[in-house]
Amino acid sequence: MSDERRRFEAQVLPHLDAAYRFARWLSSAPGHADDVVQDAMLRAFRGFGAFRGADPRAWLFAIVRNCHSTALTQQRRRASDPLPGEDEGVDFVAPDAGPEVEALRRDDQRAIDRLLAALPEPYREVLVLRELEELDYRDIATVASIPIGTVMSRLARARAALRQEWQRTLKETA
Amino acid sequence: MTCAEALRVQAYFDAELAPDDAASIERHLPRCPGCRTLLAELEQTRATLKNVPQLRAPAALRANIFAALDVEEVAAAQAAPAKPTRGASIRTRPFWIGAFAGLGVSVLAAALFAFVMLPFAAGPTVDGLLTAHLQSLEPQRLVAVVSSEHHTVKPWFGGHADVSPTVADFSARGFTLVGGRADPLLGQRAAVTVYRHGKHVINVFAWSNKNTVLPEATTRNGYRLLFWRSADLAYCAVSDTTWNAMEELRGLIEAQIVAEQRVEISKGLDETE
Repeated sequence: MSDERRRFEAQVLPHLDAAYRFARWLSSAPGHADDVVQDAMLRAFRGFGAFRGADPRAWLFAIVRNCHSTALTQQRRRASDPLPGEDEGVDFVAPDAGPEVEALRRDDQRAIDRLLAALPEPYREVLVLRELEELDYRDIATVASIPIGTVMSRLARARAALRQEWQRTLKETA
Repeated sequence: MTCAEALRVQAYFDAELAPDDAASIERHLPRCPGCRTLLAELEQTRATLKNVPQLRAPAALRANIFAALDVEEVAAAQAAPAKPTRGASIRTRPFWIGAFAGLGVSVLAAALFAFVMLPFAAGPTVDGLLTAHLQSLEPQRLVAVVSSEHHTVKPWFGGHADVSPTVADFSARGFTLVGGRADPLLGQRAAVTVYRHGKHVINVFAWSNKNTVLPEATTRNGYRLLFWRSADLAYCAVSDTTWNAMEELRGLIEAQIVAEQRVEISKGLDETE
């Protein structure tokens, strides 16, 4: 095994789960996330020699996001393929099972998943990076390639929108 | 009405403010009910989002990535054997050499990838062992009996597996005994001893196999499989760790088998005297 491979396995591969989660939140179609993450890991390995940053995780996220955008563009070029993740949020939609089947906590969790998945992508992205992956503003700005001011305003809107929807869900189920 | 300080309150909540700015927000909060509500709401939203499950990358994806990295590494080594870095070689040569080299790398990579990924090269044992290994990496599947004590694991095999291989903890040498389980393999219940080496899991399968030929050591989807035979049992270690580590563990297990046989023999001698 080469030194570069060893360094890559030590510094970048530990963030595979996080990269996979981020890809899943960018697009809820599971197969899509697998392809995107595999592509991203290979690109990261090829570019690792040139990586000088302090945080390989944010760097990897940025690559995942690029691969996701590239894959989406390619899919859009293909004639009438429906976009995965936009229409078929299959995984995060609560099933029509009887009301008493699921435990309450699990219902809560599914509701949150669904609300988060329903946020427009630019908002979902910053919220996931901040709250679930705990990146700071500067890293989020790097990953999403937007100014820090935009990170702050999107984050504020995303949080407000999610809270509003969540409270509406609570009222409906109460 | 949103207060003009709202974004700074959010930044305060996210621990993004310098100490001076944070202090000024702390002075502002008692005077502004709107911002106090905002801060409470931010905390509420964060608490709600704590319920979102932490997904993990599927084992198959992980295996595919390791395989792709193996291919990439070999291809890179073949394409530029004498060059210290890929970046340097691309800059110093005319672009068309790079273009042809790139083509060569792609073809080679594709060929190697097909070779690594296609199941034609190995028999059912390699497939079965790799599947068993991947399944064991799913949550809650690794061990049926958790113990770093061989006195616990060995008797458990007696009741749950068809063979009872040598079990020992080699923590002092970097191979920690995690526990054991029994996996169906070739129509029998193979005994699986699980070790941890650094961050890597090593499954050591043992099954009864007196006569058939064991496969060569092989790499599949980024996982290495090392076969050997000892006494009347066949062994296979499966892991994503290095060959060196796997050979070392095999050596430790074999030495342990020999040591136990000596004890058996001396016991037998005592009884006959």
